[in-house]
Amino acid sequence: MRPEKGDLTEPRQHQSTDLSEAEAIERAKLGDAEAFQVLYDKHKRRVYSLCLRMTANTAEAEDLAQEAFLQLYRKIATFRGESAFSTWLHRLSVNVVLMHLRKKSLPVVSLEETTQGTEEDSPKKDFGADDLALAGSIDRLQLQRAVDSLPPGYRTIFVLHDIEGYEHNEIAKIAGCSIGNSKSQLHKARMKLRDLLKMNRAEKAGKSRAG
Amino acid sequence: MVNKRAAKLVAIGVIVAGTLMAESRKEYHFAVGPRAGVSVMNPYGSISVKPSLNNTVVVNAILHSDKVEVDNNQNGNRVDIQSHLLAGADPESGRVDYEVLVPADASITLHSSTGSLRAEKLNGDVNLEGAGGAVSVRDVSNAHVHVKTMNGSVNLDNIQNGHVEVDSLSGDVTMKGVNGPLVQVVSTSGRINYIGDFGSSGEYRLTSHSGDIEATIPDWTSADVSARSVRGEVHDDIPLQPKNHISFTIDKGRAFAGTMGKVAVSSTVVLRTFSGKIHLRKRSEKQ
Amino acid sequence: MNCVELQESLAEVEDASSGEQRAHLRACPACTALVRELDLIIAAAGELQAAEEPSPRVWNSIEVALRQEGLIRRSQAGGTFIPSFITRWGAARWLVPAAAMLLLALGIYVRRESQPRQLAQEATVTVPSASASDLDDSDLMQEVAANAPAMKTQYEDNLRQVNESIRDAQGVVDESPNDEEARRSLMDAYQQKSMLFEMAMDRSLP
Repeated sequence: MRPEKGDLTEPRQHQSTDLSEAEAIERAKLGDAEAFQVLYDKHKRRVYSLCLRMTANTAEAEDLAQEAFLQLYRKIATFRGESAFSTWLHRLSVNVVLMHLRKKSLPVVSLEETTQGTEEDSPKKDFGADDLALAGSIDRLQLQRAVDSLPPGYRTIFVLHDIEGYEHNEIAKIAGCSIGNSKSQLHKARMKLRDLLKMNRAEKAGKSRAG
Repeated sequence: MVNKRAAKLVAIGVIVAGTLMAESRKEYHFAVGPRAGVSVMNPYGSISVKPSLNNTVVVNAILHSDKVEVDNNQNGNRVDIQSHLLAGADPESGRVDYEVLVPADASITLHSSTGSLRAEKLNGDVNLEGAGGAVSVRDVSNAHVHVKTMNGSVNLDNIQNGHVEVDSLSGDVTMKGVNGPLVQVVSTSGRINYIGDFGSSGEYRLTSHSGDIEATIPDWTSADVSARSVRGEVHDDIPLQPKNHISFTIDKGRAFAGTMGKVAVSSTVVLRTFSGKIHLRKRSEKQ
Repeated sequence: MNCVELQESLAEVEDASSGEQRAHLRACPACTALVRELDLIIAAAGELQAAEEPSPRVWNSIEVALRQEGLIRRSQAGGTFIPSFITRWGAARWLVPAAAMLLLALGIYVRRESQPRQLAQEATVTVPSASASDLDDSDLMQEVAANAPAMKTQYEDNLRQVNESIRDAQGVVDESPNDEEARRSLMDAYQQKSMLFEMAMDRSLP
């Protein structure tokens, strides 16, 4: 799984305490309110971002992030340190989101195998003109919007693999699909994103030419 | 000089345009049945409720920035509106101003920390909780009116046959034409001002710890009145018939008690303060 | 391998490192561009991790729930803890002393009504310890400072006033234990303080 980002740049929420994560976990087991908040501040962005990317809805993402942390705190007494705390929390968060998506009857991962693609998903020979090519870097905001526009099944796979760093064998276990399905859906998600980003650039290019 | 003025006007125009662009307006409609329940929870901003012409709840919301969203939910005959603050929101950017139309028999619950709360021309229950903003309820009849405020002022006007309870920490409470089976105001330091006739054979209890209490009533009022201030002064402009049995010692200048008007149909009026002044005034012909 | 086959093969071998894929890419600028663009998307995706900050509402909701479930217990120096019955009050933890004081005042009122006069005169009113009350007032102000800092001054002023009103009313009750009005004033004062705590709890959930 991809290591956590942002820890070095994020300002510390509690200037008055130097609780390490291990200390915060032990104190949280004893019901220390400050310890809970230390753990929350350290992991909130990761958990919330995951929920937001998977649902593309801020209200749902907040509710799911809240639920993930509550489940964590309820179970924290059982954490023995066999795995990294962040891994444990992250896996819990993913399960919370996936359960939510299942309850909403949204496809977690498309059940279609690679051999049965739709016309829209079929490989295209025409990759577009040069002036629409994605060049240099991709704007983060544009990519966020494009991810939010993905169909739910594609979005889940893309978020879990490319954003959160899960391997296909892990995704297969979490999402209850085959490794092959995970790989094919990921590829389709990336292709779809490429199309969305190109369309976005084309629209902007058209507007700037008209203006 | 002309160029500077022009530049200033352009700058003002840009700022206004920028402000207008950041604001957005949303409107929601909900069909409801009789005696619907409507709640609006709005941390920052005002809420105003008026009656609609039909069985529809209409919510108009002005959002002052994109750092706040409006969550809305209908569950049967219940409509819940909530301002949802996003990351980085503050009292200014998180502000939403609501204008709500509800069927007159709907019960409403409004919460705001900073903004004013206003409800008028309703006959369903009214529950308002504010902190610093003014609270105003007018033209409500046959309903419960419950108001809580920290230091926002409370104005009740023409509340007929109401069950009225006001809890104010330091906000002043003014009542004009408020009557009903129960009118109770408890305040820590806010002033209480009652202008009316203590009608409906109700129980009126006005209590402020350190705020002054002033009641202005016509001399034809029928009421059993008792007033007491532990440390402050009391004044009575209306002659009262003395009572035989009183639960406290009449300390002249600190208490008075008696009846006025027709005892058989009188209301009970209890005015209490610890260190504030109490003044029972006679309403002049012009009021 | 043609372009369509190359595309399909990227699902299995993402980095186009197989011999067949490399051979095709050497001869096909379009597929080379495609692979490059997909790499850009993958690289940019990593930037989205932990990119968003939840609103303060999320932590506030979590904290309320933790208190309601009794998962938060106050720690003290030396590692001892307040007895667990306090934890059952959960989110209204700081309401406990105010509510207790309210019930105490109510109990005083009710007991006075039922006891014979001579016993009522002898009974005294006990006041919760100043240290416990002060601790909860400071807890309240800490919550307000953390979650509604713009209202800190308002809360401080109102807290000072309600505490004064409680002291004043208590003084009168002490002087005149039989005074029903005095007991009612004390109860009103406690209710006002209780309302202030409730409002603080609501305000901490914007």
